Amino acid sequence: MIKSYKLRRTLANTFIYIILAVLGIVWVSPLAYLLIQSFSADKASIPQTLIPMSYGIDNYIKLFTNTGTLNFPRWYLNTFVVACFSCVISTISVLMVAYAFSRLRFKSRKKFINVGMILGMFPGFMTMIAIYYLLKAMGLTQTLVALVICYSAGAGLGFQISKGFFDTIPRALDEAATIDGATKNQIFWKIILPMSKPIVVYTVLTSFIGPWTDFILAKIIMGDAVNNYTVAIGLQMMVSLEFKVNYFKQFLAGSVLVAVPVTILFLKMQSYYVEGVTAGGVKG
Amino acid sequence: MRYIDYMQLNPFQKFGYNFTQFFKKLPGNLARFFTFLGRAIVRFFVGVGKGFANYGKRFAKGDFAVKLSYLIFGFANMVKGQFIKGLLFLITEAAYILFMIYFGWGYMSKFNTLGTVKASTTMDASGFPVTVPGDNSMLILLYGVVTIVVTALVLAIYIANTKSAYKVYEDKREGKKVLTFKEEIKQFVDEKFHITLMSLPCLLIGCFTILPLVFMILIAFTSYDNAHLPPGNLFTWVGLENFTDLVSITEGANKATTFIGLAEWTIIWAIFATFSNYILGMIVALMINKKGIKLKALWRTLFVVVIAVPQFVSLLLMNQMLQINGAINQLLSLIVGSTVQIQFLNSTALMARITVIIVNIWIGIPYTILITSGILMNIPADLYESATIDGAGPVKSFMKITLPYMLFVTTPYLITSFIGNINNFNVIYLLTNGGPTTEKYYQAGYTDILVTWLFKLTMNNQDYNLAAAVGILVFIVCATLSLITFNMTKSAKDEEAFS
Amino acid sequence: MKKIVALLLATMMMVAAFASCGGGGESTTSNSGSGNGDTKTGTGFSVDAADFGEEKGASLKVWGPDNSVKLLKEQCNAFVKKFPDQNIKINVVAQGEDTAATNMLSDPDAAADVFGFASDQLSRLVSAGVIAPVATKYAEDIKATNLKAAVSASTLPNPDTKEKEDTLYAFPETGNGYYLVYDKSVVPDKDAGSLEKILEDCKKAGKKFIMDAGTGYYACIFAFTGGLKIEGLEKDNITQKFNKYDEDKVVATLKAFSTLMHEYSDTFTSLDVANVSSGFVSSKSKPSTCGAGIDGNWNSTADEEALGDNFGATKLPTIKVDGKDEQMISMYGYKMVGVNNASKYPRTSQILAYYLASEECQKQRCEELGWSPTNNKVVESDATKKNVAISALIAQSEHAVAQVNVAKTFWDPMANLGNKLIATDTKPDKFDFKKLLKDTISNIKDE
Repeated sequence: MIKSYKLRRTLANTFIYIILAVLGIVWVSPLAYLLIQSFSADKASIPQTLIPMSYGIDNYIKLFTNTGTLNFPRWYLNTFVVACFSCVISTISVLMVAYAFSRLRFKSRKKFINVGMILGMFPGFMTMIAIYYLLKAMGLTQTLVALVICYSAGAGLGFQISKGFFDTIPRALDEAATIDGATKNQIFWKIILPMSKPIVVYTVLTSFIGPWTDFILAKIIMGDAVNNYTVAIGLQMMVSLEFKVNYFKQFLAGSVLVAVPVTILFLKMQSYYVEGVTAGGVKG
Repeated sequence: MRYIDYMQLNPFQKFGYNFTQFFKKLPGNLARFFTFLGRAIVRFFVGVGKGFANYGKRFAKGDFAVKLSYLIFGFANMVKGQFIKGLLFLITEAAYILFMIYFGWGYMSKFNTLGTVKASTTMDASGFPVTVPGDNSMLILLYGVVTIVVTALVLAIYIANTKSAYKVYEDKREGKKVLTFKEEIKQFVDEKFHITLMSLPCLLIGCFTILPLVFMILIAFTSYDNAHLPPGNLFTWVGLENFTDLVSITEGANKATTFIGLAEWTIIWAIFATFSNYILGMIVALMINKKGIKLKALWRTLFVVVIAVPQFVSLLLMNQMLQINGAINQLLSLIVGSTVQIQFLNSTALMARITVIIVNIWIGIPYTILITSGILMNIPADLYESATIDGAGPVKSFMKITLPYMLFVTTPYLITSFIGNINNFNVIYLLTNGGPTTEKYYQAGYTDILVTWLFKLTMNNQDYNLAAAVGILVFIVCATLSLITFNMTKSAKDEEAFS
Repeated sequence: MKKIVALLLATMMMVAAFASCGGGGESTTSNSGSGNGDTKTGTGFSVDAADFGEEKGASLKVWGPDNSVKLLKEQCNAFVKKFPDQNIKINVVAQGEDTAATNMLSDPDAAADVFGFASDQLSRLVSAGVIAPVATKYAEDIKATNLKAAVSASTLPNPDTKEKEDTLYAFPETGNGYYLVYDKSVVPDKDAGSLEKILEDCKKAGKKFIMDAGTGYYACIFAFTGGLKIEGLEKDNITQKFNKYDEDKVVATLKAFSTLMHEYSDTFTSLDVANVSSGFVSSKSKPSTCGAGIDGNWNSTADEEALGDNFGATKLPTIKVDGKDEQMISMYGYKMVGVNNASKYPRTSQILAYYLASEECQKQRCEELGWSPTNNKVVESDATKKNVAISALIAQSEHAVAQVNVAKTFWDPMANLGNKLIATDTKPDKFDFKKLLKDTISNIKDE
């Protein structure tokens, strides 16, 4: 009986290993394809074979030297700067709002929470044209500042997950601190924040990655200011009909350069991400 | 059922209980939802009325300085020892008056017509074109909204000013100490800390979310389409015309048939996309986390890498790979030994839709794995053991234990991901761009969902009014759906359990 | 006897093709232009200092497509040097002709002062009032020195005047279209005139024939070849107007195309044009995959590079419809230079646009970029005639519908038509092409 149970378990596990291996290959292979093709030195710009005929790093070199119209290094820097600023501002504003909703009791708090939830449900594209003209009225269009503002302005609406996380921290801690004479301000900085590493990392991570992936709003704001583009708009531009003929392989190389740091960052921070999102997002 | 009985149920029974309760209470909840809405509206107007009453009362009771504050902001505060606070009120008033003179009034006065003077270009005596600028309906509407919002804000400050004037008058009369500016500031890190925390985010959200939203909602009631583009043309208010266009079905391909067709597919898509990812992701997570499986971190990483690569990269790549000369067909050709040319994305509606759902599984499963892993570990092991002893296989115990438990715990996540899929722009836009094309739809293809249609209407076709109307309808569906479900899960948790 | 009949037929078809290109889409023959019944002869680019008016120290932004930016910068520098007293500054920014109009419309204030765009966008720009009409002074010269079809493509009724009189709104700079490119080692020159033979040759060699049947710009070939034509817009300036076409003939042509596509389903491939030049590339270990295709003149350098001596280009082939060879009719457009109505320096912008469309600049573009000219003198020059790709394009322009006043709603339904013809589940002998055509037309008209 015991033996057959063991056998069954080994069989089941082997079966699972096989499935996982197959799925793993399926999941990773498109990305492997991206990586391999980015090193292709074939003449044809659109890959004609599964695996390139010849290899080289021409695509990467071109990305950094051929900067006349498509200035990839500049875009990379732009995106990094925008990501840093907007990640700081959004993180602060998300945490502030979440803390207020979770810990402080004030008039019409519930109303605010509901309005916040509802606002997040309007399709984002509806507002883009208006945002453009508002920024224009402020003289900010086609600048990186405008991007930072756009990415961090709405951040406060993403309070739900952080609020969920704060809700899990026992209120007794606050009460004890209040008795010791701490103000609400001090409680926020000295007690709650240090305990909230996962959610802080989660917020930082999501708001840092945002600018690397948005190609619609950024394009509308930037218009023809190619030098102020972010990598997402730039890469999207490389596969537009006009550029695809000459730039498709550089698109692949550029994609790898965007994906690698984001991937590393994400894998490093993964455990925090999971902790943050499960604590804040799931329990409801 | 009493709370104590409820607590003794296992998670499965709890879910089953809640599940039946959910449907039993559905009509009641719906009714309650709408009465709640109605009551909220009534309460709002009652509140406004009360506000006016108090406003008048303060004026009647206050002394001369208070009365003057009704005209000159902050007057009472200034003369009664709160100089800085009063000055801030006064500056607000002055700024508002300047704003109205130099900016706001010009737009507000044209708000009801959205402009009457059309721009025109004529040749001057030397044969060069000269433009006589006219009204720009779009800017009138946008800056009109800005003016209204600013006015509302100033109105709120004005009310606060009258309150503050009355309070300082009362404090003085009763001999209480009038707070200095410094003391009032101090309140903002403690009792009024929420104001400190909320004001900046609220300001930003107001400027860049609410204001544009009001503008776009108003656009749905105008004729702002590709035949009325500013600055050369004017557009104006048309009432509900755009909405009636969307629901009045006639022969052939028109806005109404397109809207209904796309709405159907949007719902089907959201259901399939949500549940395929949810269930398959959970199965993979279970396999990775099964006792005795080694290299857990490796397996998880293999999947999670997909999240880390920006979606526009992975989806554009997928689009290229699914072309008839793309990697997938090349691979199939290698396996079969002869040329395979499957049109994944632009032959039939069914083929493209299935492809989209499968690619979405590729994109989405890793998220489910990340989110559910931790919770799956929390399912009490003895539940599974007793199930095994009862002779349940893995499929049965998944259906009878895992799924109900997870559904119970992750309902909020499911709702958000369902709404996320209704608005899942990236997958559709980057992968198929709405294709395969069809003669049945207006400016849309078979895989277009409502948001991608909305995007196409705005960006490619400049039919802003129609897009705004579609956006509003999508919003109404999403908002009702989530408000009702959130209400119900809340009631299931708080009320039923204790009754 | 047979020969005579064939000759007669050929002449008739030529006449038909010429006639079919009248009206909105006037045909462009290589010798039309200056001497052709036009009494006025242009003076070429000439500007008085007074034309600048009060404007001094203008700073302008110019949009041009990426591949022309280098030359455009040189030309702008030359322009600045021509008028040293004016102290002009010019900033050249890459912006595709296809997106220029959309970007103009989204915010004219942030857009370029002078911009290159495709002719089908003109009506949108005019109806939104963002493009300035050409100064009367230069309009005369432009009309006299450029191909008639190009001028008529740049002319629209002015909505701001009472009589809605025809007004020249842009400076034509180049013809723009597509034609047949082929690998001479796969498709011999003698076969390049017939689609059936091309497909047969490609099939034998195991290569593909690539055209983008899923994009309206190319897919309209199928309907146009059957005699359908667009004839401007209705009075509302949005709805597409069509000629009185013979429905049965269009349906027969669609069927003929669809039948061919399915007969050669492994050969006739619908992919976007970027795949044509990539498909021509061959190496020792991997032979090329493409034998022939339909590609645009903007890709001609890439095609030529890939094929080398085997590069062949000519007008589109014929297709057999009910036993008769029918010339494939394409869409032929122009790229033109427009002036932003919101420009701060309208006069300097006009003069710059005028210069960029001049003979001098067109000649440079023709020689350096291989762009097909619209200026009569450049069209007739030897350099133009020697260039295979430009000759092919000009030859094709004689069998084309002008890409002018195309409704926004035209492209998607046309793309759908192409997709339906080639779709694997379409059975050409059973498929209801008549319904497809009717649906397509009614969709374009947005009924």
